[in-house]
Amino acid sequence: MVTKIDGATTCNEVERQVFETEIDMGTVHPAALEPYRVRLFVEDEIVKDAEITVGVNHRGIERIMEGLPVEKANALTEKVCGICSNGHIFNSCRAGEGALGIEIPERARYLRVLAQELERLHSHMLYLGHGSEVLNHETFAMRIFYIRESVMELLYMMGGNRVQYGISVLGGVRPRADLNLKEQQRILEVMDYIDDKVAGFAERFVNDPMVMHRIVGTGQLSQKQALDLHVTGPTLRATGYEFDQRTKMPEYDDIEFDVITQDGGDVAANILMRATEIFQATKIIRQVIKNLPDGPIVNRDWEMVDSPVYKSYIEVPRGVCYHSYGLEDGKVRHSIIRTPSMSNIGAMQESCIGHPVQDAQLAIVSCDPCFTCTDRAIQIIKL
Amino acid sequence: MGLKGHSRSKSIHVMLVYTGGCNGCDIEIVNAVLSPRFDLEQYNVYLTWNPREADVLVVSGPVVHWTKEPLLKIYEAIPDPKLVVAVGACALTGGVYKNIHGDIPSEEIEGPVENVIPVDAKIPGCAVRAKDVVAGVASVIPIINGLKD
Repeated sequence: MVTKIDGATTCNEVERQVFETEIDMGTVHPAALEPYRVRLFVEDEIVKDAEITVGVNHRGIERIMEGLPVEKANALTEKVCGICSNGHIFNSCRAGEGALGIEIPERARYLRVLAQELERLHSHMLYLGHGSEVLNHETFAMRIFYIRESVMELLYMMGGNRVQYGISVLGGVRPRADLNLKEQQRILEVMDYIDDKVAGFAERFVNDPMVMHRIVGTGQLSQKQALDLHVTGPTLRATGYEFDQRTKMPEYDDIEFDVITQDGGDVAANILMRATEIFQATKIIRQVIKNLPDGPIVNRDWEMVDSPVYKSYIEVPRGVCYHSYGLEDGKVRHSIIRTPSMSNIGAMQESCIGHPVQDAQLAIVSCDPCFTCTDRAIQIIKL
Repeated sequence: MGLKGHSRSKSIHVMLVYTGGCNGCDIEIVNAVLSPRFDLEQYNVYLTWNPREADVLVVSGPVVHWTKEPLLKIYEAIPDPKLVVAVGACALTGGVYKNIHGDIPSEEIEGPVENVIPVDAKIPGCAVRAKDVVAGVASVIPIINGLKD
């Protein structure tokens, strides 16, 4: 910590001193789970400016993908992120199928949506648990972690692994992910359990006056700021702007769901946003199980051809995720991955400003950061 | 067993260091220690973020360039006796980040954790399962109780 004292210190000159302090942490710090550097410029305990830097966790996964056949490269994209791993493999399979012109069976499309929504459930619950822990309310964190385990068990049942389950392959889904009637019944039972438990959690949360007093009005981000910074996902929807990439995806065409928005853009709006989205995700999963068509789950009838750059956008739990593939003879020549936390870094900086320094961590966490997956090859071109 | 060893055996402190990787193992480790389903605290093991309090260092991820020096500093800050548990395929072998195209080593990572600090226990898995973390950390508790101060 660096402390600078501005102004005169003699007693007859100024009555009130202004302390300008810079609090910096990182990039690798034992207290931060992920490597990022945050600099807070503080004046009288009020944050005047904030700066968040990422880039130390670069592993060069796009470089490893270059030259590999597209189905092997798809398997690697799962290692980009441990929280939204299915979002990455789903999106890269989508990009590869678009580039090679592969039609996927209807049942595989539904199973992919199912896996994506299960992932949204576990990611939002992780957010709620982590947020509660930053609020120092461990009881809430324990409750939500306990509910989250039921979703992890479903993912384990579906993909055979708790974190990187690899549901999608090029042309469909893996045979392991095909659900029989007993497994479908199990998913429906767990959805009822989650609806019940999360409703109880949310009711306790909003009726707790101490928690609400701490989070209402903290870390506020206005809608105009959010649109200027190109914020995506639930962080944008928490400012009242209705945008969801799922409404534009053909996978979700026959599925009914509401785009949830909250007003305010503060920490309370962000937390309630995720809590209410959980109910939409369970609603989608029920529809998927109800309308799950019979038939094959994978289409093996395709060829490795050249293709120009193909872009694909999907909605992962944190916002819009972008993958692009340029293929040459079925091998990856070019690949770019852009994760939603990249565009939400601006929101994290802005929501710290103007609030006391002790709220800064809460404001950063409320934007649901995932710096691990953000560390890609980034080039910022100033025009 | 002296007074120090006796008190240590009742409260083993685990510190988690993230050195790259995909975050999957870290969430499973935190899940193993904190969540009520697995609950590593039933074996008198607690999570800490202060290296001077820690007895066991849990390392995840392939060590990328920028995290090598902080990892060494954190390792040196832990008082003796100390044990290191490497968790996950990346920490054990470098995982998918180790090589590009066959045997060409990647320039982005410093290799597995063994290249940087000595490792006492290894927990495999990609991503590692929470019950494996519980089993692995519980297996080093007798070792750390037998070590001299």
